Amino acid sequence: MRLRWGKNNIAFMVLFLVVVAIGIWIENQYYLQVMTFIGINTLLALGLNMLMGYAGQISLGHAAFYGLGAYTSAILSVHYNVCPWLALLGAVLTVSLIAFVIGMPTLKLSGYYLGMGTLGFGMVVHVLFREWSTLTGGASGFVGIPPLELGPISFLSIRNYFYLVWFILLASMVICRRLIDSRIGRALRSIHDSEHAARAVGVDTENLKLMIFVFSAAMSAVAGFLYAHFVSFISPGSFGFLASIRMVTMVVIGGMASIWGALLGASLLTLLPEWLHAFADYEMVVYGAVLMLVMILLPQGLTRGLMDIYERSRK
Amino acid sequence: MQEFLQYLFSGITNGAIYAVIAVGFSMLYSSTELINFAHGEFVMLGALTLVTLWSGLHLPLVLAFIVTVGIVSFVGFVFERVAVRTVKKPDHIVLVIITVGASIFLRGIGMLLWGKDAYSLPGFSDHQPLDIGGATLLPQSIWIMAIVGAMVLGLYYFFNRTLTGKAMRACAISKRAAWITGIPAGKMVLLAFMMSTGMGGVAGVMIAPITMSSYDMGTILGLKGFCAAMLGGIGSLWGAVIGGFLLGISEAMGVGLISSSLKDAIAFVLLLAVLYVRPGGIVNAGDVQRF
Amino acid sequence: MSDRENNPELSFLRIDNVSKTFGGVQAAQDISFKVSRENIVGLIGPNGAGKTTLFNLITGVYTPDNGKIFFGQAEIQGRKISTLVKMGIARTFQNVELFENMTVVENVMVGQHVRTMCGFWGAVLRLPGMLREEKQSRIDALDLLEFVGLENVADRRSSELPFGWQRLLEIARAMASKPKMLLLDEPAAGLNAVETAHLAELLVKIRALGITLLLVEHDMSLTMEISDRIVVLDQGRLLAHGTPREVQQDEAVMTAYLGKA
Repeated sequence: MRLRWGKNNIAFMVLFLVVVAIGIWIENQYYLQVMTFIGINTLLALGLNMLMGYAGQISLGHAAFYGLGAYTSAILSVHYNVCPWLALLGAVLTVSLIAFVIGMPTLKLSGYYLGMGTLGFGMVVHVLFREWSTLTGGASGFVGIPPLELGPISFLSIRNYFYLVWFILLASMVICRRLIDSRIGRALRSIHDSEHAARAVGVDTENLKLMIFVFSAAMSAVAGFLYAHFVSFISPGSFGFLASIRMVTMVVIGGMASIWGALLGASLLTLLPEWLHAFADYEMVVYGAVLMLVMILLPQGLTRGLMDIYERSRK
Repeated sequence: MQEFLQYLFSGITNGAIYAVIAVGFSMLYSSTELINFAHGEFVMLGALTLVTLWSGLHLPLVLAFIVTVGIVSFVGFVFERVAVRTVKKPDHIVLVIITVGASIFLRGIGMLLWGKDAYSLPGFSDHQPLDIGGATLLPQSIWIMAIVGAMVLGLYYFFNRTLTGKAMRACAISKRAAWITGIPAGKMVLLAFMMSTGMGGVAGVMIAPITMSSYDMGTILGLKGFCAAMLGGIGSLWGAVIGGFLLGISEAMGVGLISSSLKDAIAFVLLLAVLYVRPGGIVNAGDVQRF
Repeated sequence: MSDRENNPELSFLRIDNVSKTFGGVQAAQDISFKVSRENIVGLIGPNGAGKTTLFNLITGVYTPDNGKIFFGQAEIQGRKISTLVKMGIARTFQNVELFENMTVVENVMVGQHVRTMCGFWGAVLRLPGMLREEKQSRIDALDLLEFVGLENVADRRSSELPFGWQRLLEIARAMASKPKMLLLDEPAAGLNAVETAHLAELLVKIRALGITLLLVEHDMSLTMEISDRIVVLDQGRLLAHGTPREVQQDEAVMTAYLGKA
């Protein structure tokens, strides 16, 4: 365990340096923008990974929390003129509360039923985004979300926003790492491996599942905040069933129970549509095929799957 | 009163379609414990294939119907062999995501084959709409009810009176016991898939004349059909039927009496209610999946 | 009833007229017996006798339909499992249920869950108290592994262990919660003669630590050898309760069970 801690610290340092370097050297605004989106998506994948990968609970409606974070921040900063950073706090608290209330009955369901419950919740929230026009702007969306600034630093430029997103992401990755390597992390993983046995040794599985559910929702809310103030316009379409599936895909393809898997999955899934732009018509077919293939052949996800292949070829 | 009747008719019509979709879900779940999130896409395939065969190629209706269902079942066959049989680690999350991936894949195929256009079809027969108590009942609605009725009775007979049907139920209850008595579980699973997707095709065929069919119609239909199956009691034939009609009528009443914008939410609110209050659904289907 | 029998301290665990029915099948019928502290009690009986049901009733997996279960002074039927673990009841499973994706030492550390405190904020902020607790946890876990003889495989994935060692790991994990009573469900199942002998030694060592043991077992020689008392069940009813010698000579037991073996 001590050795792994050291390795991870180094990895985080390397990532930090890479991010700084990219920010300094890359001039192309489009590339920076794409990488900012990768950062935001990684934050989404990371939160969901903690829930699905470590605690072993599936959620097919997580985009609801993403959207709730985005809309709450937008509504607070535009309708109520709240400083965006306070709006972030408001968004996180609101979403955490909602996740707590929803999580309590839902997490008592198991296996498929949990997936269904989260699916239902996600769909209901999506309809609310679409129909509660006075609050959310309805199907035509919400405009005018203010850019961020912190004292003298303005995050209007893509480069600065890129830094903001990635530093928040790095901090989140460190937090997740600490959580995983702790008593809580072990308890979570035990629930994933055998909820039955975890309960038998005294782990309060209900509370823990709820805790991690709220945590992952809060992370999605932060991602929502970052997204909203980056693009300044949000609409319900970005937070529907497909968005939830995209989140699940990122986690699953990258590799569940792996922080770096979240990064890999998010990167692939952000870049794939960009690469497929030329074949826009084939996007869905490729997307679906990739999803199926990875699950059939490498159910552990790409990080572990590729590592397994590598290790096997060495023997 | 007239309005109420109108809502009722539209609710029953939609309910019948949800029932067929729900039956497809439940049947597969009861035979394999798998929820096929791609089920809705088979409905889409059924609808659009009928459009091509009947409206495009001008095949006679009955032939087009049969060929459509055959094609959709065949896709189901391929799906089972390629995507389900070959899975290395068949646990819940993996299977769910495979079916989700299949759903996206099939939708992509639908878009490639039929584009983004919406297609409409005439009703199965040329009869005039009926006037009952001031409300209009489309002849297509009667066709739908008749087909659903025939299908449900057929399934009931199949599962309770034929050897194959009973064998499939046996597999659902215990694969091991079935294997010991010589029932080929693998073939049963394949048959279950083909029947389930075939039913999805039938639903698509029925729905094509009363709605605009397009490549993306499957998702929401599938989800609602699934809600209906849960509402009635997943794994139960009668549960699926009851759930379907209940959902259809609830939606129609909701649209009529409350607001049309929240129509889509009704299915999911009912789903959540079922999950939290009575996961076994209306017929209280327990862990014993019976069909 | 004499004063001695009523003294709760002496009846460390008391089962009082406990019954449990599952859909028409009476798995446990009016079972009553007492267990004294620092005893090894063997629970035997033919298949379907209700041993595992009784186990599950004591460990909080099921709630009895009738009757009470006393642990020391407290009534424990119907309580949450995590509460029972905190009170000092631990168990192992018939089919070993380890945390397969975790290492051997991590499995034991999960066992310490109720005796440790680090929560969400402690982990995230890396509070010094939490770091100390984490360090001590690992030391304690390694000590337990040494006690059962697995210290050399501490960092191996638990699923990689041979079956006999997995059983030992489960015992170490159960002991990590510092239980007063340990319930073992067929701990010798699947073990060869050498492993069974090692297990017997281990169980006696555990009793010497002051832990009371209740074990369900089919291995007669093991059970008779190490148990202080034996409880015999048959078809959900208590058939006999006494020392191994007494039980072996009990008529009802001989006809129902041992006589046939």
